[in-house]
Amino acid sequence: MSFLAPGFLVAAVAAACGVIALHFIVTRRPRAHTFPTARFVPEAPTAARVRSIQLSDLSLLVIRILTILLAGAALARPIFPLHRERIARVIAADVSGAVASLKETRDSVRILFRPGDAIVVFDTAARSIVSPESIAVSRRTPRSGSISTALVAALRAGAGVKQGADSVELVIVSPVTSSERDRATKRIRALWPGRARLVQVTAESTAKSLLPRAQLSNFLSTARPPFAVARSQVDTASAAVMQNHVIVASFERRWRFTAESLGRARVIARWADGEPAAIERDSALGCVRSVAIPIDSAGDLLLRPSVIQFRASLDVPCRSAASKSDTALRNMLIGTGRLARSAQFSQPADIESPLSRWLAALAIVLAIVDILVRRMRTTEAEE
Amino acid sequence: MRRTPHDKGHDKVMYGALLDAVRGLRWSARRASGIAAPGIHPSRVRGKSAEFTEYRSYRQGDDLRRIDWKLFARSDRAYVRISEARAVTPTYIVLDASASMAYPDPAASKWSLAKQLTVGLTSVAHSGGDPTGVMVAGIPAATIQPRTRRGVIGEVIRTLEDIGAAGSNGLAPSVLAAARSSARIAIVSDFLGDLDETLRAAREIIAAGRDVYALHVIASEEIDPPISVSAVADPERTDVRRTLTAGTRGGYLRAFGDWREVTASRWLASGAAYRVIIAGQEPVSHAVRRIVRDVPATSQSR
Repeated sequence: MSFLAPGFLVAAVAAACGVIALHFIVTRRPRAHTFPTARFVPEAPTAARVRSIQLSDLSLLVIRILTILLAGAALARPIFPLHRERIARVIAADVSGAVASLKETRDSVRILFRPGDAIVVFDTAARSIVSPESIAVSRRTPRSGSISTALVAALRAGAGVKQGADSVELVIVSPVTSSERDRATKRIRALWPGRARLVQVTAESTAKSLLPRAQLSNFLSTARPPFAVARSQVDTASAAVMQNHVIVASFERRWRFTAESLGRARVIARWADGEPAAIERDSALGCVRSVAIPIDSAGDLLLRPSVIQFRASLDVPCRSAASKSDTALRNMLIGTGRLARSAQFSQPADIESPLSRWLAALAIVLAIVDILVRRMRTTEAEE
Repeated sequence: MRRTPHDKGHDKVMYGALLDAVRGLRWSARRASGIAAPGIHPSRVRGKSAEFTEYRSYRQGDDLRRIDWKLFARSDRAYVRISEARAVTPTYIVLDASASMAYPDPAASKWSLAKQLTVGLTSVAHSGGDPTGVMVAGIPAATIQPRTRRGVIGEVIRTLEDIGAAGSNGLAPSVLAAARSSARIAIVSDFLGDLDETLRAAREIIAAGRDVYALHVIASEEIDPPISVSAVADPERTDVRRTLTAGTRGGYLRAFGDWREVTASRWLASGAAYRVIIAGQEPVSHAVRRIVRDVPATSQSR
């Protein structure tokens, strides 16, 4: 048995303790002694305080405690929950452009899904579906999804499945890229009362999918690359370095990256003097890579193996920076502690407690009995 | 109130000692009796007893047998011999059996003292040849008409054995009823009931030439209430419930003392013989002796 409003029961127990304490501190009307000449005693209040160090009126005490506890139990609305022994799942499946393959997402959901579980698919918006097979026909947006939206939908779905299970497990099937996070994600995640399970699927190669070819082609042109500004004075650099690849040549440096543009960017190549030569930066469209290394196509520089390897290194997804950010996001999403208990979700107001009315009726009957017993005691005392 | 056989056995022993103690006492009438029946008390009726008082001239209608013929021979005038008559004084003991008499407890209380006084006075009056009866206020079945025959004392004791003090019966109707067939009425009561009505009745019957004894029974606990008592209730008036504390005790003692003074004054003013008997302060036989010898109340008892 559980209670919909257990606070009332706690309050009733506290009140019962108070009643017990009051029965130790008894103010009773003293028993009157027969005195034929009582009429000559001057008028004065007949009530006097009689201290008692023992519990007085045990029967009354029992009746009062039962009355209070029953009333408290009635207000606490006891219910006998359904037979629950399994863990229900709320599966949040990412179907946004951040996912490399929807098939992988669908297969993951299919393995996790059991009858009675809830599935929420999300990209920039979230919606519930009833079968994992629906993922295949879901429309896919080219943009990254919103985990915050998925969490809100999961909370709503969790309140729906809670009556059939002891615990509710949140399963997030997503590549969990940093682009899917926003400022509200942490706060919304905190609303889910338990830990979550993360099933990471392969992320779409951001550089491959989102980096425009034109930007990479500026590797060979003299056009201004993104986030770069023209240098006030054109100079030359003798080499460009990217990880293990070095191009030794005379480069005419026309562009530079400002401090502002470098603030949220990652430097992927530098000039020989240490100045950034290429950066990549996250944006709403994904990872944008900007290369400010002009190579004259007229010469044979492009044919050099070092330049070919250098260029191949630039033509890879933005993996390194994304993975660092995602780790924190993953840890935040997984959380700590136990699975969410179904009772932790807000209770709908329409749950009826059939026991409440009987408990309330019993409490009223006991209150009437209390009055009758007190009246009998008073009559006996007067006699 | 039912009484146990043990109580009754105790009463018999108690009454036996009392009867022995009051044997030989005489209860003289305070007034000349108007009853013709011969007895030991002075009578207002001039009769023909041997105790000569005076001569009176013969008047038509006088019994010829009462003419002193020797005087007639000497003086040639007819005189009738007048003698002083002695008469009996029918006595009624009116006993107050209200609840206030059962104090401080039914076994040793004002009620017990009142019963002993009743038996003692009945014995004294009966031994003087006076018809003696007992009337318990509010209990007609317990009335014993004034009689001189033997066994009256036993009958009184047996009657009182079965009676307990309870209720709040008025005293005045019983006093008036007793006055119809007696010349002396002794009222044994604590006078906490219908005092005004009883006094009015007493004044009437005293005016009619009867003797009235007001025997005021008081418990020593009423004069000096125990300290342990706090809340007190009048057994006859349920609306009276007071708190007897150190603060109210002085007021109580003053009020009760004043009331006793006033009550004594009113009884004495009515012409009754007023005596105060405090339970436990003196043997009952002494109280009986004090009553019948017409010794006024002592300052202690007042």
